[in-house]
Amino acid sequence: MTESKLSIVDLTKRYAAGLEPAVDRLNMEVEEGHLVALLGPSGCGKTTTLRMVAGLMDPTAGSIVVDGREITHTPVNKRGMGMVFQSYALFPHMNVEQNVAFGLEMRQVSKAEQKARVAAALDMVQLGHLGKRQTKELSGGQQQRIALARALVVEPTLLLLDEPLSNLDAKLRETMRTEIRSIQQRTRATTLFVTHDQDEALDMADRIAVMNGGLIEQFGSPTEVYERPRTHFVANFIGQANFLTGRVGAETGRANLAGESYYKVDVEGLGQFGAIGSSGLAGSTHELVIRPHRLNVSLHPGAADAPLAGTIERVSYTGDALAVAVRVGGQQLQAQMLTSSGDLPRIGDAAYLSWNPEDAYLLPSPAKLERLAS
Amino acid sequence: MTVLEAPAAPERPKAQDEGQLEKATERRNRRTYLALLLPGLLGLLVSFVFPLAYMVRMSFNQGSPDGVIVETFTLDTYIQPLTDPYYWKVTLDTFQMGVVVGILCVIVSYPVALFLARSTSKYRGLLIAIAIAPLLTSAVVRTYGWMVILGTNGLINSSLDGLGLIDTPLELTNNMTGVTIGLVEIFMPYAILAMISGFGRLSPQLEEAAGSLGASKFKVFTKVTLPLCLPGLLTAFLLVFVLSISTFITPRLLGGGSVQVLATEIYDQTTGLLNWPFAAALSVILLVLFGLIIAVYQRLTKKIGG
Amino acid sequence: MSSANATGAKVFKPRFNPAKPAFGLLVFLLYLFLLAPLLIVFVVSFASNQYLSFPPEGFTLKWYEMLPEESTFMEGMKVSLIVAAVVTLIVLALGVPAALALDRFEFKAKAAVQSFFLSPLLIPSIVLALGMVLLFGPLELNNTYAGIIIGHVAITIPFVIRTTLMSLATTDTSCEAAARILGAGSWTVFRRVTLPIIQPGVIAGGVIAFIVSFDEAVISLFVAESGLPTLPVQVLRYVENSADAAVAALSVILILISLAVVVVVERVMGLRKALR
Repeated sequence: MTESKLSIVDLTKRYAAGLEPAVDRLNMEVEEGHLVALLGPSGCGKTTTLRMVAGLMDPTAGSIVVDGREITHTPVNKRGMGMVFQSYALFPHMNVEQNVAFGLEMRQVSKAEQKARVAAALDMVQLGHLGKRQTKELSGGQQQRIALARALVVEPTLLLLDEPLSNLDAKLRETMRTEIRSIQQRTRATTLFVTHDQDEALDMADRIAVMNGGLIEQFGSPTEVYERPRTHFVANFIGQANFLTGRVGAETGRANLAGESYYKVDVEGLGQFGAIGSSGLAGSTHELVIRPHRLNVSLHPGAADAPLAGTIERVSYTGDALAVAVRVGGQQLQAQMLTSSGDLPRIGDAAYLSWNPEDAYLLPSPAKLERLAS
Repeated sequence: MTVLEAPAAPERPKAQDEGQLEKATERRNRRTYLALLLPGLLGLLVSFVFPLAYMVRMSFNQGSPDGVIVETFTLDTYIQPLTDPYYWKVTLDTFQMGVVVGILCVIVSYPVALFLARSTSKYRGLLIAIAIAPLLTSAVVRTYGWMVILGTNGLINSSLDGLGLIDTPLELTNNMTGVTIGLVEIFMPYAILAMISGFGRLSPQLEEAAGSLGASKFKVFTKVTLPLCLPGLLTAFLLVFVLSISTFITPRLLGGGSVQVLATEIYDQTTGLLNWPFAAALSVILLVLFGLIIAVYQRLTKKIGG
Repeated sequence: MSSANATGAKVFKPRFNPAKPAFGLLVFLLYLFLLAPLLIVFVVSFASNQYLSFPPEGFTLKWYEMLPEESTFMEGMKVSLIVAAVVTLIVLALGVPAALALDRFEFKAKAAVQSFFLSPLLIPSIVLALGMVLLFGPLELNNTYAGIIIGHVAITIPFVIRTTLMSLATTDTSCEAAARILGAGSWTVFRRVTLPIIQPGVIAGGVIAFIVSFDEAVISLFVAESGLPTLPVQVLRYVENSADAAVAALSVILILISLAVVVVVERVMGLRKALR
């Protein structure tokens, strides 16, 4: 068992006594070399957490431990971290080389060594030829890369990224995503990455901390978080989701080596359906999650056993697929159809939905009855 | 997901440990900003607050014609300016001058400000700079310039005489006329600046829209342009007004001793008659008037801006 | 007047509007009015008329040549330059930290403190001048450099604070955060990051302070007329007592000094910007 690079223990931030905490007894362990995404909607506390790790904000309670040493009381400028900001925050009165060299200057590295390390850092972000340029002459993407070089050249204990791609346009964002990830992997820098964009998180991260209301709702790999969401919020926030609530019957068989089982779930008004979930769920009421692209939609009743019958309410053409909303019982389910499959559906057509039990996942916590209405 | 145990993980903090870091930072911050503010505050205290306070205190002393000051606390010094018709006249003259200069200044500054606010030419910055440049010079110099222009042998009189339009020179200096003309020009840059920032909401599209709806140029001006300019015009007027009632150099020079306003009275009482309590009382009165006008201005801008 | 274009939509063709050039002429004349006294002073300073009169009889440089001889003018120049320079340094040292505190920190009395710093501009200078000459009497500060300097501090600090605040408001505070994370302590952050970034505001404030102090006549008149007259006070005395054009030449020098300060700073700043 390896020691974590970063441990956050019961980290809390309360802006004023009596107010709801912005970060509420947060706990997280980050392995060395991992890129961890702090993902969540605005106001969930992800940026506040990052700032506390950086030292830019004091925690109300809790501790931050890096390399086994508690740094909660260490001032910002002694933590040896590197940070990239949404606005790049390059020093406008210095040129590129001076910007990148700044951290080394603070560490009183010799001029010769500064020169060498700055050149290496700029090469790593493929901007070695821009050393003497003024920062305002650079494009957004270039500025972001310089900011990254400036943070990495000091060989930081942690690399902190605060929504670094939010100011870039969509195409550039995708390119930079790949670049940042490859640089991070090459340098093996342990990285915290704050974002509200789940595609970024799923694409770049080794682990994702899905945050909501100051808490981490789930901490896991992208696959875990997508395929096995722990809460309704996580299932809804990552990707698209359909929710059905039902009473879970007895286990019908072992599903896999992870200890999950198959169940038959009785969904009110719609019938009995197969689903998968962790052991011991029989007898309670749970929500099950089905991703739209795993719902099989057919316009003909066909051979699938007990398909769910419904009516098409909306059709959205997105070029490579059709997003179809089907009303079934009292709910609307989102599904997808390929555009090349012969007959195109129209609003009002009957549609028949089915799925494989493996594709319907039962959320581990019992559903509250109020959830049935949502 | 498994939770890895960090070997040096500290214990869960107790309730009374909460907020310690924040409090420490707050204390540090307070020390810092107080240290940053203190020199400036002290500087203003010595240079601004103490002189004013001393002056107000002096106004309650007893002065006398032979310059002897009696340390006391009396309202007598105020009774004279408030009851003497001469001082009422001086105050009213000062007010009147302020109003006249204010109105005239706004009238002559408005076209320039309108032009600059609308202008899209590349020389706009330069033209604004030229309009403001006179502020770089001392009021003394500009007043002197007006003395040369308006004087008996000055530019205007010589030209008019040379053209045969007049026989005797016009009396343009040593009277309120000259002072008014001079002040109107001297305060133009302030008025222009106030108007330009006040005209923020004026965009050519509004005027084009009105025009395309069928309004004549005159109607566009009176119904669209002018109302939008009103806040800026009002600010400019009030600014010039308060500057006028407190100005000293120009009434003194261009007025040649014949123009009495509150500022010149204060100077005469201080330097000539050495009746300091009286001068102080006049100053307090001027300050109070000032304060009232600014209060009225705040009230008015709230109404118009809201 | 409208006509239809190819697609049938109504198009406005601007007709020749005589109001436009007439308006332009009006603005031009108003500019002349605005600059009139300065232009006249310039003209008169080269006129050989013995007494102020028009039209100019001839071209001469005698008024300028006279200036160095006039000890009163030279003395006044010296006093004004020294006072302005010292005042500028003082209010920069007082005002820039105050502006920093007002922009970068939160505290309850902030709005009040800011208003306090800007309030000297709201008081008529004659009222301030009276207060000062009265207070400085028993303190024996009248007719001293210290007295004039203290007197000018009140009216120049607001400018420095205002321009510095404007500069501070437009800077990205994450630059300072970035510098701290990279290892810089508070003083280093100020010296290496904040100050260079707010340099334009600070310099603008300094220039305005210098010029305001240099041109200031009322406070200097009350506090130091008899013993240590500044240049504007000398000009004031001369204008009240004499009728010749020497003071015009002096006034032109005054104007040129103010212009020179602004232009030099503009050049230096402009050069800096080009080197960035």
